[in-house]
Amino acid sequence: MEKALIAIEEMTRLGIIKSYAIGGGIAATYYIEPVLTYDLDVFFIPVKEGLDELAPIYEFARNRGYPEEAEAILIEEFPVQFLPAYNDLVREAVEEAVTVKYRDVQVRIVKAEYLTAIALQTGRAKDKERAIRLLESKAVDREVLSRILERYDLIDKLTKLEEGNGDE
Amino acid sequence: MGMNKSAEQVFRKKIERRHQLAKLPFEKKIEIVVELQRIAAKIRPDKCRRVWPL
Repeated sequence: MEKALIAIEEMTRLGIIKSYAIGGGIAATYYIEPVLTYDLDVFFIPVKEGLDELAPIYEFARNRGYPEEAEAILIEEFPVQFLPAYNDLVREAVEEAVTVKYRDVQVRIVKAEYLTAIALQTGRAKDKERAIRLLESKAVDREVLSRILERYDLIDKLTKLEEGNGDE
Repeated sequence: MGMNKSAEQVFRKKIERRHQLAKLPFEKKIEIVVELQRIAAKIRPDKCRRVWPL
């Protein structure tokens, strides 16, 4: 996994992407108990916003000989899924990410409060499950979360989830 | 619906166990993720879901 993380860091250094942060199951695993996942989800802010924000990443991958597999790119045999920051919440989550260490590699990870907010916004069954786990953990600062949810009009989603009425 | 004391204790222990697992170092947690992938692959092999090379 280190080699994939190093390659992602390198993409930032080379200006292939503006910024990135790990999200999804692996980011959740940083804060809560390990969960079964198969992709390393990487949210990124593209250098140029436009039609094909993934094109520079695929070009980098081709030049390095990293093959594509389904929606992922196999970086050093490790499946990485790149997701452009698709809305203001995700963009802010990338900008506010924390830097942590995995072995000797520095990686950026979405903060627990943003992971919870994104899970609430996305709203699939597995996202709700993730939001519940994060809320149960001690990783989420409820005041910070409330401020994020207010800004993105998501308070209602949290209320419904906590009332056990998350299915809409 | 209410819960009896035994059930409450079981659920409380489960949450405590999750909190303990949450405290593991990130590297150890990733090893556990890969172990989960291996177990899942043995039960139901799926070419689209590869076990990570660590």
